[in-house]
Amino acid sequence: MADPIHERFAEVLVDYSTSVGKGDLVLIESTPLAAPLIRAVYRRVVQAGGHPEVRLGLDGVAEALLSAGNDAQLEWTSPRLRGDSEQADVRIAIEADTNTRGLTGIDPARQARFARARTSLRDRTMERAARGELRRVVTAFPTHASAQDAEMSLAEYEDFVYRAGFLNEDDPVSAWGALGETLTRLADWLGTKRELRVVTEGTDLTVGVEGRTWIPCDGKENFPDGEVFTGPVETSVEGHVRFSFPAPHAGRLVRDIELRFEGGEVVEATAAEGEAFLREMLAMDEGSRRLGEFAFGMNEAVQEFTGHTLFDEKLGGTVHMALGKAYPESGGKNESALHWDLVCDLRRESEVHADGELVYRNGAFLPGLF
Amino acid sequence: MTDARVTRLADLIVDYSLELSPGQVFRIDAHEVGAPLVLALYRAAIRAGAYPYTSVGLEGTLELLLEHGSDEQIEHIAPQQWDEIEEIDAIATIWSESNTRALTRVDPTRHTAYLAAQRRLHNRRWERISAEEMRWCGTLFPTSAHAQDAGMSLSAYEDFVFSACHADTVKPVEHWRLVASSLQARAATLGSVKELRIVGPDTDLTVSVEGRKWIAADGSYNMPDGEVFTSPVEDATEGEIRYTFPAIYHGREVEDIRLRFEQGRVVAAEAARGGDYLRTLLDMDDGARILGEVAFGLNYEIDRFTRNILFDEKIGGTMHLALGSAFAQAGGSNTSGLHWDMICDLRADGEVYADGDLVWRAGHFLHEAVPESEPIEAGKRG
Repeated sequence: MADPIHERFAEVLVDYSTSVGKGDLVLIESTPLAAPLIRAVYRRVVQAGGHPEVRLGLDGVAEALLSAGNDAQLEWTSPRLRGDSEQADVRIAIEADTNTRGLTGIDPARQARFARARTSLRDRTMERAARGELRRVVTAFPTHASAQDAEMSLAEYEDFVYRAGFLNEDDPVSAWGALGETLTRLADWLGTKRELRVVTEGTDLTVGVEGRTWIPCDGKENFPDGEVFTGPVETSVEGHVRFSFPAPHAGRLVRDIELRFEGGEVVEATAAEGEAFLREMLAMDEGSRRLGEFAFGMNEAVQEFTGHTLFDEKLGGTVHMALGKAYPESGGKNESALHWDLVCDLRRESEVHADGELVYRNGAFLPGLF
Repeated sequence: MTDARVTRLADLIVDYSLELSPGQVFRIDAHEVGAPLVLALYRAAIRAGAYPYTSVGLEGTLELLLEHGSDEQIEHIAPQQWDEIEEIDAIATIWSESNTRALTRVDPTRHTAYLAAQRRLHNRRWERISAEEMRWCGTLFPTSAHAQDAGMSLSAYEDFVFSACHADTVKPVEHWRLVASSLQARAATLGSVKELRIVGPDTDLTVSVEGRKWIAADGSYNMPDGEVFTSPVEDATEGEIRYTFPAIYHGREVEDIRLRFEQGRVVAAEAARGGDYLRTLLDMDDGARILGEVAFGLNYEIDRFTRNILFDEKIGGTMHLALGSAFAQAGGSNTSGLHWDMICDLRADGEVYADGDLVWRAGHFLHEAVPESEPIEAGKRG
């Protein structure tokens, strides 16, 4: 008997997030740890008339390549990867790590080489998604490794994950619909602004957003979701920012990142831990020193930091900004092999000003604005 | 901690079975339970300079497709699979399962429809293998389910599997080169035989092999390996055979099969258990009642029946005769959706006559086939 929570999770992913229909080629990308959810999604896709294909990654394979592969092997992409990026109608990616730090010992320059070689495939995926040729959702299945990062037991972490997706509610889809309406109003209102200034401890940063599109995220690209984002004007970012939350990326963790921007570009970067990796990521290419995304986390069911970006960036009362590639649908133009979301907690002694006016204080927009 | 034998098995497959070279595109097919061997193969391929990638499926999904899918869904093949098959230089398939009987209760006609659709892809793969455009090797990673089928503990079963592959020795490649040489000699000797007569308990079967090519299965296509096989003349099989070992097809077991052949075709089929399933498969298509393979199992490290054809068909001292599709490279022409290996234990009191001469008794050839010269070089096998 399948676990009802997995059935419900699968229904939301297949019916709501990606609207799978007859004849859709649906990739389910995950690891063996998510087996119960994968099976539930697989069945739901079959019942919806789609053609599911499971793609499991195995712990240790990336490390084997990154540690021992020659340059040509690092840069090679498989026919499977290329075929999938062109053929899939739907991709349901279920993160389920065995070890979130498994790549800590890898030379970051080799990781950068690996990432650069996959940029065109990733861009193709983003382009197809922006054109509506591909629906894709990224979600997470609770594992011991993620629970450990969150400093929770597996049972506590499972509750956290399911609550964050409103899966504990009778009708998760209408809960997402309601949040989606709020986020749409917020996005429309933000669309009228030219410049945002974020002020909190260690942070005073100005970001130009004039002419850019704000996108409300209601569980159709990430699950759980709950953010509005845009692509900032590439040359506009000025000032300094401190990311109070540790930043996991590509199988390792960087702590206490501080960045200073001039003319949109990072001109100073420090970190308490993982600074060499941070520098390598910033040096990846032309666009990796600029912001490709600026966003407000708006999911009030996510109230604690768990060390997993999918959740942390949705945390109600935070902003996040990504170094690197912009999403084309936001109007952002920055190109890079990198897209690294960094989260800044604004729940205490924080303010956001829009075109000089105070609009957000201590983790919430002021009432009556939108 | 990785079992050193897993690493040696992976090295053996990459270096010996597939002879991967720098720049070759190499896919590793498995279910998640085979993960340790997938990783070991991946590492070995990286070391060899190849371009490996994994194709790992989740157990328990095929039955969902067969239970809930429409005919169109069951028969669907993702378009990129056709492109992939053209680009690949080598595939390793790891047959490992957590439950070998998961499909026992699915509707056999739906399963057959699925297999028939997949066969189009398999056929293209085999075309490329036959044309020497790509290589393929099938192997197994030991799991509790396979150990359970064998009636063994997992650790005893691991010993059995790795010993059958000689992955428990320091230099398995050298061992398999010697095996290859001896099997080649045996195949050459059998090549001059016109007719085999197999005699054993409730068995007296005559099979014509005239003009057919015997092939030494030396670890190129399977690991473990150790058999010589050919495809018999399609319309010449006469007599009766009793398969004392259960015959298993896609997870279903049929016990104590007895077949009677006339002019190459099965005309009577009985089984102590699973007779209906046996007859369903015989009626699958026109070629399902005709032998596609006759072979001698010659791997004497495999000394027991374990309910897995990869091992059972190589048990030293057995013969197996498969109903259904034949091997073109052996000169066979029978085509069928079926290829069902059934094993006949000849170790106690079996005899085989070649053109009237007794050549095999109680599980052994009476005369050693002498290799022509020294062990053959890599790349000249198969």
